[in-house]
Amino acid sequence: MIDTLSYGLIIVGIIFWFWGTLPLIGNRSVLFKLHSLSVSDTLGSMAIVVGLLLKIPNEWSLLVLAIMTLAIWNTVLGYVLAYCSSSNEKIINKK
Amino acid sequence: MGAITILNIVLRLAIWFLLTDDFSLPNIIIGMAIAFLIPLSRKSSSTLKDWLRILWEVIVAVPQAYLEAFEIIFRPHNDEDIIRKKVKVRRNSGLIFLDIFLITFTPKTIVVKYDEEGWYEIHRVKRKIRNKK
Amino acid sequence: MDSILIAMILALLIPIYEAWQDDDIWQKMLAFASIATKTSIMMLVISVLRDDWSIGVVAVITLSVGEAGLMLLAHLIKRLNEA
Repeated sequence: MIDTLSYGLIIVGIIFWFWGTLPLIGNRSVLFKLHSLSVSDTLGSMAIVVGLLLKIPNEWSLLVLAIMTLAIWNTVLGYVLAYCSSSNEKIINKK
Repeated sequence: MGAITILNIVLRLAIWFLLTDDFSLPNIIIGMAIAFLIPLSRKSSSTLKDWLRILWEVIVAVPQAYLEAFEIIFRPHNDEDIIRKKVKVRRNSGLIFLDIFLITFTPKTIVVKYDEEGWYEIHRVKRKIRNKK
Repeated sequence: MDSILIAMILALLIPIYEAWQDDDIWQKMLAFASIATKTSIMMLVISVLRDDWSIGVVAVITLSVGEAGLMLLAHLIKRLNEA
C-alpha cells in the first residue's frame, strides 16, 4: 500500500518534470517558462522527495530538510530570476 | 512580556530541538538559555494575528499550489499579463518576504517586482481569450 | 527504480539541449536553474537507491549552494546589462 503510494508520487513527479521542462524548448517569454518550471522543478521535485520519504522513513530528517530547501530556494530563485530578467527590458505587451 | 515574545521563544526552542534531536535534561537547559539570551528584535509594528494568519496561509499554500499545477496541466493557460497589487498596510520586511514567497510559490503567479511605495507587480498566466496572444 | 533513473536522465537532457541551443542569456539561466535542481534530486534518488546517506547529504548541500550561486550570477548579469 505504502509502496504503491510512494511509486505513484515519484511517477507523478516525473510527469511534472517532463510537462514543465518541455516548454523550455519553445520560444515563449522567460516569465512564461518560469511558470511551468515552478510546476516541474518545485512541485514535481517535492513530489519525488515525498515519495522517497514514504519509501524509507528512517532517514526523515535529511529528506525533510531537502523538501524545505527545495520549496524555499526554488521559489526565491524564481523571484530573483523574474526580477533580474525583467528590470531592463519591457516584456509587457499589454497591461 | 507580550504574546509575540512568547511565540518567538517557542519557535526558537522548536528549531533547537529539531536541530539537536536530543531531549536530555542538559540539552533542554542549554536550549532554554539560548532561546532567552538571543536578543529579541526591535519593536515590530505587526501584530501576532498577522503572523499567525500568514503561517496558516503558508500551510494552505502547499495543496493549493498542487491544485493550480493540475489546473494548468489539464487546461492550458496560454495567455499572460501583469497585474499590480497593493501591499497590506503595516508590514515589516519579514512579513513582506513571506508574502512574496506565498505568491511566487503558487505556479500561476510570480512576483516580478516589489517597489518601496507598497506595490507588487505580479505576472500571471491565464486561459486564452479569443483575440490575439 | 532503474527505469525511474533513466526517465530522470531523459528529462535532464531537455534543459541541457536548451542551454546549448538558445543564445539569450536569461533563457540559458532558466535552463541552468532547471539542471541544478534536477541533478540534486537525482543525487537524492541515487542515495536512496544505494542506501548511502553521505550521498544524500552532498545532494542537499549541492541543492542550496547551486541555487544560491545562480541567484548571485543573476544579479551580476543584471548589473553588467545596466552598465
